[in-house]
Amino acid sequence: MTSDSIGALIKRQVKPAVLIFLLLTLVVGILYPLVVTGISQVVFPAQANGDLLQHDGQVAGSSQVGQPFSSPQYFWGRPSATTPVPYNAGSSTGSNLGPNNPALVQQVQARIDALHAVDPGNTNEIPVDLVTASGSGLDPDISVAAAYYQAPRVARERNLSVSDVSALIAAQTEPRQFGIFGEPRVNVLSLNLALDDLSEHTVSVPHTGSSPLTAHPPDLVFGMRIADWIQVILFIVIVALISIPLGAWMAKIFTGKPNSLSPVLGWLETRVLTVCGVAAGEEMDWKQFAVAVMVFAIPCIAAVFILQEVQQFLPLNPAGLGAVPWDLSLNTAISFATNTNWQAYVPEVTVSYFTQMAGLVVQNFISAAVGLAVLIALIYAFSRRSASTIGNFWVLLVRSVMILLPIALVISLVLVSQGTPQTFAGPVTVPLLDPVNDTTGTLVTTQSIPLGPVASQIAIKMLGTNGGGYYNANSAHPLENPTPFSDFVEMFAMIIIPAALCITFGTMIGSRRKGVALILAMTLIFLPLLGLAIWSEQAGNPALAPLGVDQTPSALQSGGNMEGKEVRFGTVSSALFAVITTSTSCGAVNSMHDSFMPVAGGIVLFDMHLGEVVFGGVGSGLYGMLIFVIIAMFIAGLMVGRTPELYGKKIEQYEMKMATIIILIPIIMILAFTSLAVITTAGQAGVANPGPHGFTEILYAYTSASQNNGSAFAGLNANSLFYNITTAIAMFIGRYVIIILTLALAGSLVTKKIVPPSEGTLRDHRPLFILWLVFVILIVGALSFLPALSLGPIAEYMGMVAGGLVHV
Amino acid sequence: MSEVKKPRSPAAVPGLYQRAVVDAVLKLDPRTLIQNPVMFTVEVGSAITTVLYIQALTGAGEAPAGFIGAISAWLWFTVLFANFAEALAEGRGKAQAESLRKMRQDTTAKRLKEKYRIVKGCEPAESDFTLVSSSVLKKSDLFYVRAGDAIPVDGEILEGIASVNESAITGESAPVIREAGGDRSAVTGGTIILSDWLIVRVSANPGEGFLDHMISLIEGAKRQKTPNEIALNILLLGLTSIFIVVAAALYAFSAYSVQAAGAGTTITVTVLVALFVCLAPTTIGGLLSAIGIAGMDRLIQRNVITTSGRAIEAAGDVDVLLLDKTGTITLGNRQAVEFIPVDGTSIEDLAGVAQLASLADETPEGRSIVVLAKEKYELRGRTVGASGPDAGMQFVPFSSQTRMSGVDQGDLHIRKGAADALFKYIQSSGNTVSDQLKETVDTISRAGGTPLVVAQNGEALGVIHLKDIVKGGIKERFIQLRKMGIKTVMITGDNRLTAATIAAEAGVDDFLAEATPESKLKLIREYQQGGRMVAMTGDGTNDAPALAQADVAVAMNTGTQPAREAANMIDLDSNPTKLIEIVEIGKQLLMTRGALTTFSIANDIAKYFAIIPVAFASTYPSLTALNILGLHNGILAAVIFNAIIIVALIPLALRGVKYRAMSAEEALRNNVLIYGVGGIIAPFIGIKIIDMLLIFLGV
Repeated sequence: MTSDSIGALIKRQVKPAVLIFLLLTLVVGILYPLVVTGISQVVFPAQANGDLLQHDGQVAGSSQVGQPFSSPQYFWGRPSATTPVPYNAGSSTGSNLGPNNPALVQQVQARIDALHAVDPGNTNEIPVDLVTASGSGLDPDISVAAAYYQAPRVARERNLSVSDVSALIAAQTEPRQFGIFGEPRVNVLSLNLALDDLSEHTVSVPHTGSSPLTAHPPDLVFGMRIADWIQVILFIVIVALISIPLGAWMAKIFTGKPNSLSPVLGWLETRVLTVCGVAAGEEMDWKQFAVAVMVFAIPCIAAVFILQEVQQFLPLNPAGLGAVPWDLSLNTAISFATNTNWQAYVPEVTVSYFTQMAGLVVQNFISAAVGLAVLIALIYAFSRRSASTIGNFWVLLVRSVMILLPIALVISLVLVSQGTPQTFAGPVTVPLLDPVNDTTGTLVTTQSIPLGPVASQIAIKMLGTNGGGYYNANSAHPLENPTPFSDFVEMFAMIIIPAALCITFGTMIGSRRKGVALILAMTLIFLPLLGLAIWSEQAGNPALAPLGVDQTPSALQSGGNMEGKEVRFGTVSSALFAVITTSTSCGAVNSMHDSFMPVAGGIVLFDMHLGEVVFGGVGSGLYGMLIFVIIAMFIAGLMVGRTPELYGKKIEQYEMKMATIIILIPIIMILAFTSLAVITTAGQAGVANPGPHGFTEILYAYTSASQNNGSAFAGLNANSLFYNITTAIAMFIGRYVIIILTLALAGSLVTKKIVPPSEGTLRDHRPLFILWLVFVILIVGALSFLPALSLGPIAEYMGMVAGGLVHV
Repeated sequence: MSEVKKPRSPAAVPGLYQRAVVDAVLKLDPRTLIQNPVMFTVEVGSAITTVLYIQALTGAGEAPAGFIGAISAWLWFTVLFANFAEALAEGRGKAQAESLRKMRQDTTAKRLKEKYRIVKGCEPAESDFTLVSSSVLKKSDLFYVRAGDAIPVDGEILEGIASVNESAITGESAPVIREAGGDRSAVTGGTIILSDWLIVRVSANPGEGFLDHMISLIEGAKRQKTPNEIALNILLLGLTSIFIVVAAALYAFSAYSVQAAGAGTTITVTVLVALFVCLAPTTIGGLLSAIGIAGMDRLIQRNVITTSGRAIEAAGDVDVLLLDKTGTITLGNRQAVEFIPVDGTSIEDLAGVAQLASLADETPEGRSIVVLAKEKYELRGRTVGASGPDAGMQFVPFSSQTRMSGVDQGDLHIRKGAADALFKYIQSSGNTVSDQLKETVDTISRAGGTPLVVAQNGEALGVIHLKDIVKGGIKERFIQLRKMGIKTVMITGDNRLTAATIAAEAGVDDFLAEATPESKLKLIREYQQGGRMVAMTGDGTNDAPALAQADVAVAMNTGTQPAREAANMIDLDSNPTKLIEIVEIGKQLLMTRGALTTFSIANDIAKYFAIIPVAFASTYPSLTALNILGLHNGILAAVIFNAIIIVALIPLALRGVKYRAMSAEEALRNNVLIYGVGGIIAPFIGIKIIDMLLIFLGV
């Protein structure tokens, strides 16, 4: 192809690229948050504005955001790692200490000592959540066990009877949400406010006789509590049930068949595309398609970059945030355009409401929609016979947004109903019940809680497998993910489109069971990884056991490794969330992966090493999976003595070349960038944890960036010129080069005939092939990354079981 | 006839192994080896470790010289073993080709002068030709051969008819007739003319004949890689690149870990190279070209020569086999299966007369009548012209005017022939054709048979039922093919009725009746439009367009030059059933590649367990817990296993994996179990045994 014709191709796509970008910015960046805010302010006014807690006619705090308590007469909450003061709502974070970091043991010991100092006679084992830092630093809850542990001390300090205090705890205990979700827990602020009321005799405690929950021996079934089994199984069942109709519905929308939305959207689509200069029915070959994708990337990246540079001049900046440093801004722009949503910045103190809305939310939609469009192009390559075109990028893009928008709207409102803010008002300042000193010794008496159009962003952050949080602590933040039910909805939102797309694929190629086969293969990889992660997290940290910390799961606490986790989710839901987010390339976190035990940390890392194809990102997961299917079918096809055919298309040299390079790129990038980082001082400078765990942090960062996941071993300080630039390169190549190669592959496949199946063709939906596919995915991942993992999580784990911490 | 000839056993060539060893060393030349990128990287690794070994000998090594030396030596062996496999396959293939090439040895040819003009039926005179070496004959030259001459090169007969001994190529000693025009006009170089003379036009320039192509396909260096082989090579190259990066990155990771843990030493380059070589797909990489060459070799063993490796692979993909009815599905000729008397004649009389009428009939049909009469009615064979009761018989040969044959003995006139011809004869003799006779004739026709009416002195005695006889075992063959997913289509010039009957009897999936060259071509195109791969055999000139269109086209060696040129394979045995074997060879070739690729990759798991725990033990001693095999020399044992497995698998690569007809599903299951699961387990055992041997040897 001559440069002239490339130039002509580019020129043709500029107008639609710019116009569609502006139009989508208007629709999903401005109108969508406005609509969600409007509805929320009318239907859920309390929840949409920070869920403020009224006490004696005064605002006493947020019922979602925890407060620090250090006086002996109050119940203490979770230790908080925020700075400069605990429970600093303006800068949410976990400790990100690794499980074998000596600093962690020292801190836990110090907390134990502090508890013992105010309650010398108490020789009970201390519930683990009371001595481990929460994921957000703002956890409003403690476990029921942690409340009862403190009851004697509080009773003594306040001259109350222990039974009165216990009765109060029982009354304040929130059961599992709807009897199913999350952990039974106690909101510390509410409990302490009630305690003050009790002390002042303004209320009497309703004695219920005995406390409803007692610390009976854990009812573990195959290592998990029944309640945890119910949650996990319910989740899988609901995803399975909904993915089928959703997948079929998406197929209808993509192929332009009549559907429930077509009367409105069909009309809208035609108008929008005509205005933007896209002729109806115009199709693209793979080169035109690729050019359109790349031309479209320019306004996307540029807009996010520029918005961050000029946000100080723009509206909706109540915190008065200034321009973002260029390298960080560029990193963020590429990060969001590539559906990675790696966050080297702390959102609360870096980006304005307007930047979040008009920049980041727009990319949350668009990057997912681009992934969908590319996937549909690849599906056309399989479903069309001897054709040359693979659909029209602009049409598919607009249809993708139309799919995402209504679902995101519903999820937004569900989140608001659970307590996620949706407002344009600035931060709200609430008094602290028990003021604390910050690190400089200044007394802090208030807490400033940042609000904003959060729910509308979180909905698409999950649904589009983006993962970039509104708050720094991401979905561990009590406002971003307020309840166990919101957690369930967020997990559902992450996985549902990638799962349903398999059905869309099956429907479009005319054999739904081929789609089901892919879901089964993904599930076969997903479940064992999930099992290992849960096992690892629930077993707790052996380093804490000798200190007298109770990590055993029971009816009163989730137990396990609670460092970096939130009480309302517990260990099992945190592990489930982590495996989903790393499987789906989402990258949102509801617990700090850096503080995971070595096995669970290794699992979430390996999950990404598998290529983000186990469900994977919206669109990108399935097109990545199909690449693996091509490789698996190639070898299997040889083994049955035929030129391999996949879905009737012959897999030949060109396909193998593309597929091999697509598999190769992320692997080589991860290993090469990690090498670069570990041998340079700039790279080593970011490391937070000692020993193999520190190595894992770097490996995780480049894995996350190259695979467009976006989650982090967040202890790593990635906001440096070195990391901002290298991860930006990794994200860019990991996204766009892969897309171009995938489209080239589609361009070749679409021209082929479809060979009708016979006894001699290997059926690509039978159990044997599914198992083979699973084997190929696992072995490619394992062979590429086992040596690296052996110097990270494996070395850490082996060191841990060999007894004692790894020497530092 | 239908008997499938056993493949020629691989030529036992003296010095085959010695030559392969020498070639293995010669192939170390990096310029040659670069064609096999996987083994080239191993050679680079071997060179690096050799340098490190020399450095260690000077006392400045990164590890004990003995260790580096041992690793280095075994890495060289790895390359040599792979080269040896290729050289061995080449050697065997060449030996096969050599025996074919013998026919190609220079002979003297009688080249006709340019000004010579062919005169029909006229033998050239001595002055019309010059004696030249066969090697100077060019395409379109004319040459003359006569009884006793060896035919110098392939060509097409322009004039003459002769019997030719083709046993040199086919192994069949009975001479065949070759004549100008028609479907038997091709001659092959190296065959010997037994009688008469021929004028032949040379069909290919020296070095461009079928055999020449085939020989160059066998020689590794010049060998064009086939499409699937290239695709597989891409995958292997991809894996190799990954492992190069894995090993290189590990150096940085190890250095960082030493710093982070404050213990141990950075992994040595020797161990990294060893790790890389163990992980790289050397087993399949080393055997890949041997597998390809061996596939060609197997084809030659079955007396099939081909000009393209692509065709062999395509054979494995074939979905549809177009098979000629005659010779492939049925025995070449119809046979008498029943005598049906009419108009009150006894069956013994009919049988007797029919036998008499056929005694002198040397056609297969005629002979089958004699045999049937003898077997069923115990009538002893009689000979024409013998003394006794049968003396004085006069044979009346078949003529195209009468379309009857028969015998006259005194007043006795016996005739047999096609129904309409005999009806005319009977009527002309003043007799009527009875309804019973007509009905019998119709019944046989409707059943797909051929009725031969027998009459004596103008009166009908009865009808001989001639029938196509389906070859023994062919039905089972078709069932196997169906299991493999291959559809069989019978091609015949017969009418639909006859074709349908035979198709049902033989168990083919479909048939094309009243086939013409156009309808054959159309059928192939239709299948190809539907995404099918079509294979066919043919020998006539009118088969040429269809042969050219088919994906796998096998021409009979007895076929015409256009047919041979249109085809991409030639069966020297001219056995139409050979197509089925060719398909099997094609499948076996791909399966062997797939199986060894799986084996090669599955092996890596065990190698990790052998190498990783040792490699990082100084930094993280707890990793030694992963040394689940309890190895003492894990790295060396893994490298040795990696080298030896290549040699161990050479027989498999040359022979091909065991093939039998089964569905794709079954084939995958079997191969995954043997080469996948087996590939995971085998190295654990192998490496452990090697490690114990090393301990025993005191390493």
